[in-house]
Amino acid sequence: MQPMLTLIFVIALTFRIATTSSFATDSGLDANVLINNETLIATSQEKVVKLYGAGGVRGLESYQSGIIIDNSGHIVTSWSTVLDVAKVRVVTFDGRRLDATMVGMDPQNELAILKVDDAGLVGFDLSRAAQASTGQRIFAISNLFGIAAGNESCSAQKGVIMASTPLTTRRGKTKSLYQGRVYVLDAMTNNPGASGGALIDLQGRLVGILGKEIRDEQAGIWLNYALPMDVVKSSVERILSGNTSVQALDLKAVAQPHRINDLGITLIPDVLAKTPPFVDQVREGSVAHRSGMQTNDLILLLNDQRADSRKSLEKMLATINRADSFYVLVQRGQELIRIHVRP
Amino acid sequence: METTKAQTMTRARRNHVVWSHVLQFIFLFPCLPYSLATGFIAIFCVTNSADSAFDSSDDKTETAPSPSDAVLAAQQQRVDAMQRASRATVAVYGTDGQGGGSGVCISPDGYVLTNFHVSSPFGHRMRCGLNDGKMVDAVVAGSDPTGDLAVLKMVGRTDFPVAEIGDSDKVRTGQWCFAAGNPFVLATNLQPTITYGLISGVRRYQYPSGTILEYSDCIQTDAAINPGNSGGPLFNIRGELIGINGRCSFEKRGRVNVGVGYAISIKQAMNFFGQLRSGRVVDHATLGFTVTTESNGKVAVSNILESSDAYRRGIRYGDEILRLGDRDVATTNQLKNILGIYPDQWRIPIRFRNDSGVVETYIRLQNLHLASELEEIIKGESPQQKLPRKPPGGKDPAPGDPVPNGKEKTDAPHQLLPTKRDAVDDLFVEKRGYTNYYFNRVELDRILGLQAARGTWKDSSESWKISGEIPGENLAVEMLLSDASLTLRLGDKTETVHPLQGWPKWIKQRSSIGAVMGMRIWQQWNRIGPRLMGEAVYLGRNPVVGRELLLDVTRITVSDFDVMVYSSPESGLIEVIEVFSDKQTDPVELFFEKYETVDGRATPKTIRLAYGLESQFLVSIHQMQNSEIPAGTGL
Repeated sequence: MQPMLTLIFVIALTFRIATTSSFATDSGLDANVLINNETLIATSQEKVVKLYGAGGVRGLESYQSGIIIDNSGHIVTSWSTVLDVAKVRVVTFDGRRLDATMVGMDPQNELAILKVDDAGLVGFDLSRAAQASTGQRIFAISNLFGIAAGNESCSAQKGVIMASTPLTTRRGKTKSLYQGRVYVLDAMTNNPGASGGALIDLQGRLVGILGKEIRDEQAGIWLNYALPMDVVKSSVERILSGNTSVQALDLKAVAQPHRINDLGITLIPDVLAKTPPFVDQVREGSVAHRSGMQTNDLILLLNDQRADSRKSLEKMLATINRADSFYVLVQRGQELIRIHVRP
Repeated sequence: METTKAQTMTRARRNHVVWSHVLQFIFLFPCLPYSLATGFIAIFCVTNSADSAFDSSDDKTETAPSPSDAVLAAQQQRVDAMQRASRATVAVYGTDGQGGGSGVCISPDGYVLTNFHVSSPFGHRMRCGLNDGKMVDAVVAGSDPTGDLAVLKMVGRTDFPVAEIGDSDKVRTGQWCFAAGNPFVLATNLQPTITYGLISGVRRYQYPSGTILEYSDCIQTDAAINPGNSGGPLFNIRGELIGINGRCSFEKRGRVNVGVGYAISIKQAMNFFGQLRSGRVVDHATLGFTVTTESNGKVAVSNILESSDAYRRGIRYGDEILRLGDRDVATTNQLKNILGIYPDQWRIPIRFRNDSGVVETYIRLQNLHLASELEEIIKGESPQQKLPRKPPGGKDPAPGDPVPNGKEKTDAPHQLLPTKRDAVDDLFVEKRGYTNYYFNRVELDRILGLQAARGTWKDSSESWKISGEIPGENLAVEMLLSDASLTLRLGDKTETVHPLQGWPKWIKQRSSIGAVMGMRIWQQWNRIGPRLMGEAVYLGRNPVVGRELLLDVTRITVSDFDVMVYSSPESGLIEVIEVFSDKQTDPVELFFEKYETVDGRATPKTIRLAYGLESQFLVSIHQMQNSEIPAGTGL
């Protein structure tokens, strides 16, 4: 009886997809949609940018994709090592090269927002962004493999949303900081350079952002997925409202601040323009040790402010009185951990 | 999406009825679920057919939602296009049936386009599997190692199914397309596998990586391109051939489809097809100058060879290139893209801007490689010397590589091969610098055959007298051609040259006597034939300024200079003769503008002399006398 049940399940699933799609064709999205693909994709391609930054060594790409999300120069993209530069180079569909600064990042969703000044960029209308459902057709637009350069358009791919599911179920198998809901795609979208690319529906509405490359270590399978728009929007709102910011608040340095040494941690040597605040050692019995910090923690946020380098961390610590406690968000392996540091 | 109650009910009812059909099916075939995958596909089909059966019979009172006619029509069109396209798709194997790639037939007499990297490991002969399940023998007719193209000739039929050639310039991102081919050598019944996808990008440029292989102006698709798809066709949704699949982006995910495949545009393939039929190892081209994109976005000449045709046409360092071929140039990549689709020796339009304004002219493209370099490549790719390809890190030059023979098989099959020569072996002639010299002879014979039908000059004497005038100027022209000397009388001026030697000096001076040199070549070609004049090589089909069609080109090396003879592929008539003194000098260009049939022979009536696109004069020929024509030879 067991095989029979499986079969019935499969039939049910198949039938569901069949009815869903036949309904889609009945409800106004008729054959015109097929004819208008070119225009749809062409206009969407103008809202996806190529990003260039740090990387290019040891299998780390120095490029990725980004989505213009308004008409004032904001670009949402994956938060990755590519952005670890003072200015991220943005190349628009018409070949313009612009410099972007980071507005902020959201470690939980691994998203970041960049801004370019006054370039007259036209972006997606986030208020039109849509929810997508399983079985729905989509197009992905990204600069995968860095194929497009200069004024060449990003690549377009077709696909279907296979599932809308949390990534947490894969925890321990796939390497991802992001643990929320994703759209799993049947298309080979998530290639090098694709993260930050746009997922659009057949009406040209933004439905998601392509995630970073994720591979199941055991099966060796790469996952093709996108973060849904509600996730993207929540990050955008958080970042733009200034809750997570790269700009250290304009606080005055205090007379007796915290110092890295006094906390009992040693960071890796400051050799780069932006050396990440990476914990090399934690002294036994120190404040940091008692609070739960460990070797190999990467400090991301200090009191919800972005510490993008050792220098900025030092600067931020200098504004906190030695007697006061503070919070850090660290990345430990594939986990994000919030630590309350109490002197 | 809102659904009305009525619609929901309709759906529910339909659901129920379809279920009964499906269950009936399951009871009839209880053993099906052994393979879940197979089961899934089979059931899917049955659900659909049960669905439509129900719609037409039982459901008379309610209107069940069914796909609109437009959708069904589009689907039918797609099915038809794929079936049509499948017929012209061939599977390419070695003679031992091993390995495997794909190809597409583009002429009823069996010319097949495929990738160079598909054909090269097989040597000169292979087997092609057709859609009707039959295998035929094939030989390689020409190769382009730079552009990764090869042409095969299938034998045994004159009615091979052919693909309809599309217009790859009209391909746009977002259009649907499909690839046909033999991925993973799945097609045991020789029916090609179809993979459906989207045009992901157009006019892509893929750098040469590791080899000289370069993909310029190619089409990017997400239709699955896998090992074995190489050399196979990419069709637009109407089933018109738009490209030859051949390369993918791979990085860390292994040599299977990762959603990025590249096809050589059919425009490029057809530009090269004429050359590829020549049996030669075909070369790509350089402009004779390089460009850089300056900070203001200007594509400017950064270096130019003074010996190049581009230099002679007035292009200088710093000039801005605006247009090449039939497309505008805005970036260096675009220029490379355009250049990559043309064979060497083609003369293509160019528009550039210098201090005094915008100039429109034509330039001759130069060869990209030395003959010895190409030979080296061919040798390296031949079956004996071929080393396993090492994918150089990033982008792999040979993606949908033919499926490898398998190591254990490479030694054994040679013993099984018949050692006796057969009919197919007669279609192969080995010669240095050629892929298959046999086809060079075939093409030259074809031209001579066309010409023979227009009357022969073989019996004419060696001494000719051609008289005419330069219209408008009322200037008499007389040309005397003989084995002793060549003479031009222009009004009261007379010039004489040796019939074979010392020409370069006159050509450098752009002498009017170039017209007589051209006529002498015409005379010799028609009297003794190109093969006795020197080393005659059929090059392929090249454009000529002012002519719409591509013309057959034959190059003859006569003593110390080269001659190019352009003839019409339809009539065989010689339309242009070029005489080159050296690479630094513009050649004589003699245009045969008009022919008339005189005594049963096509006879030139109007000729025009030009040097470097500048016309010198036009001659109306009144009479061509060859003193000793034996009576009655006119056909």
